[in-house]
Amino acid sequence: MNLPTIHWPHALACLLVGVTAVLLCFGALVTTYDAAMAVPDWPGTFGHNMFLYPLKAWLWGPWDLFLEHGHRLLGALVGVLTLGMAAAVWRRETDATLRALAVAAVLLVVVQGVLGGARVLLDDKTVAKVHACTGPLFFSVAIAIATLTRPPRLAAAKPELSATGGDDVLRPDRWKAVAALSTAPWVTAGLLGAAYVQLVAGAQLRHLDAAVDANTFRWLVALHLAGALLVTVLSIVATGTCWWLEAGAPRRLALMILVLVGCQLLLGAGAWVVSWGFPADWLPQSWTPAQATVARSARGAAVVTGHVVLGMLILGASVVLALSTWALRSSQRPGLGKERAFA
Amino acid sequence: MKSQSQIVSRTLVRLHSSWAVAACGVTLLMCVSGCGSTPAAWFRPNMVEATKQRLTPDQERQVSTVMLAMFGTPDAPVAPPETGLDEAKLQLAAGPVHSDIVGRKNGLYREHCAHCHGVTGDGLGPTAAFLNPYPRDYRPGVFKFKSTERSDKPTHEDLVRILHNGIPGTSMPSFALLSPPKVEALVEYVKYLSIRGETEIALMRAFFELDDEAQGKLPETREFLVDEVLTPVTEKWKSAADALIAVPEMASDLDLAASIAKGKELFYGDKANCVKCHGPTALGDGQANDYDDWNKAIVEVSKEVKSGLERAGETSTSGMDSEALAEHRGQLAWLDKFGRVLDGGDALRPRTIQPRNLRHGIYRGGRRPLDLYYRIHAGINGAPMPAAKGTVPPEEIWHIVNYVKSLPYELDGELGADRPMVAKDRF
Ligand code: HEC
Ligand code: HEC
Repeated sequence: MNLPTIHWPHALACLLVGVTAVLLCFGALVTTYDAAMAVPDWPGTFGHNMFLYPLKAWLWGPWDLFLEHGHRLLGALVGVLTLGMAAAVWRRETDATLRALAVAAVLLVVVQGVLGGARVLLDDKTVAKVHACTGPLFFSVAIAIATLTRPPRLAAAKPELSATGGDDVLRPDRWKAVAALSTAPWVTAGLLGAAYVQLVAGAQLRHLDAAVDANTFRWLVALHLAGALLVTVLSIVATGTCWWLEAGAPRRLALMILVLVGCQLLLGAGAWVVSWGFPADWLPQSWTPAQATVARSARGAAVVTGHVVLGMLILGASVVLALSTWALRSSQRPGLGKERAFA
Repeated sequence: MKSQSQIVSRTLVRLHSSWAVAACGVTLLMCVSGCGSTPAAWFRPNMVEATKQRLTPDQERQVSTVMLAMFGTPDAPVAPPETGLDEAKLQLAAGPVHSDIVGRKNGLYREHCAHCHGVTGDGLGPTAAFLNPYPRDYRPGVFKFKSTERSDKPTHEDLVRILHNGIPGTSMPSFALLSPPKVEALVEYVKYLSIRGETEIALMRAFFELDDEAQGKLPETREFLVDEVLTPVTEKWKSAADALIAVPEMASDLDLAASIAKGKELFYGDKANCVKCHGPTALGDGQANDYDDWNKAIVEVSKEVKSGLERAGETSTSGMDSEALAEHRGQLAWLDKFGRVLDGGDALRPRTIQPRNLRHGIYRGGRRPLDLYYRIHAGINGAPMPAAKGTVPPEEIWHIVNYVKSLPYELDGELGADRPMVAKDRF
């Protein structure tokens, strides 16, 4: 029996995605607990070399320190993994886009590290916001690399629909699939964009500077709510179009995103309640809880942090979905051009 | 067979321009999110009061200078010794959020409170406009839920209790999970902001009483700044502990049913007249068009500005001599400035206050019988809810407390004076 050989670029990229996900969770927790300034120096930790900071002091120290130092260690690990992944891609893949993505990943991870340092050294919330927007961007690139390095064996490249194969297309029951094939890539790309904008808007609400005036805040909330609407609509449309695609993977993925978006809406409402209280004047009075919300409760932190992390998961899944619909489209319509399958 | 990545790559190359567009978009978004560096935290001057007192820009500057010298900045607060505030506690609560060398967190107020109550404690934090009731503006020095007589300050313990319990039914959360030293520091800081705000208001009002020879300049003497302005403010805070409401014991052999019946009588009777606001069903559907003090202040000045503008619009300037004309112009400029202050970030849109629906059993000031006794005895300072003190004898207030406590459990059939509660009333 043949043991499958490891395709290093793919394996490393997958590992990178996994570790980055944990890193993002730590990052989100750092913001939830306002722990960014738990360690005043950078790149050292309280004067120690970051990697030599006593394990006991880290694990048994204050919670804020645990989060911030942990975030830094994971960040360093992700940096090293990114370099390894990029080297593997450069050696084993010839594809220009993949190589460009690998370079982008290296650049982003460096920029992100420097931004993290600047956020601490300058103690500036603006830098923190940009840092919060670059994180998911890097995550998306890592996921894109992991998706594109999939060995053909895994990549389910077998076309399930032949849109170009002669008269087949003209059969009345196929027109939906053909139409979906040309719209799905755009819809999923739109979903990806909207999911990212939503993270950017969310970061503005999370890194709220107390000096921001009420009007600016109102606009930010409006933007985030409009974004939520857009993502919801797009994920419904994407699921609809992918349903017609007659390909299993995008269908399942789109449906999963739709479910995640549903959960995300609930978590968003929860995040509002644990942060700014129950909006008693918009809802029936009798729903008002008898107790005040408890600031910094573990449950509250889980809801708010979960909202951020789920947002990143939706973004990541949208990357995979967009790539797979684009791939499907180019594999099935090589002659993608002016001549439409049907007029 | 072509690998998937090659296929995708081909498409992507064709889509090169869209990639470029996307990259630009992302960069733009990040730039927007980072536009301008974070403004330094500062104490926002009380513009509503300054404009109401018709201070000139120079006088506004005088006030700011005195305030800075007396109270410092949000990053480096100063407490004049007369305030009796503990500066070490203030340092812990003030400034940006960071941990010090022993891992103790500083900047507690900005971590936990400022996004609602504002850096200045003016209740104008970024989230404020979305909250109902609005977060407390500490500057007038008025607090609602306390164990002292109506016009007195809350005690230290009152504020600790508020932080511990939060205010159920509002967005004010409980900070029960913070360690006692942190809560102490925060309470001290609330007092600091409140004393600071009251002092600012007193200074602004002092211009009105200056005689002509002062030429619109505040004296910078200790007698004036400390003895005349600051001390009257701090005295009230220091004497809060002496202003506790005297609560008589509830009779131990009290017949609860009889007490509730008596309370009910009082509730609907002319003496206590709770029914006027809380309504015949106690659902809070009585008088509902009133404002609390903070909102009322804005409503009143808005009215003044509006009627002033109307009057100015009707006045013809043709027959005026130069002096009258200058006065007219001055008035217009003042009205214009006031309009801008009210519309710009210095005031929230006024909202009416709802008398409480007493059938939910949610009591913002605490649900111990003692808390309700305080509320009914002294009323709610800053809110229309009046004190029963003086009209209802102390022992009888306990009857009202007992009746109020029974309201959430009262059966539908026995409700209120004129109509039974229907399901819809619960909403
Ligand atoms: C989510 C918004 C929010 C946050 C955060 C918040 N508050 Fe409040 N706070 C409110 C609101 C709203 C009220 C007014 C409730 C009312 O009028 O019934 C209030 C009222 C108060 C009062 C007045 C109580 C009284 O008796 O009048 C104090 C004191 C107070 N808050 C202190 C704090 C402190 C200290 C913190 C931070 C540790 C804090 N608040 C955090 C919303 C908030
Ligand atoms: C002038 C109108 C008015 C009258 C008269 C009045 N109340 Fe109120 N009451 C209010 C308002 C308004 C509030 C809500 C205050 C707030 O939200 O800060 C309130 C709140 C309350 C609360 C809630 C306190 C808490 O901790 O949440 C109780 C209990 C209460 N009133 C009982 C009474 C009783 C008993 C009487 C008669 C002795 C009475 N009220 C008379 C207007 C009134």
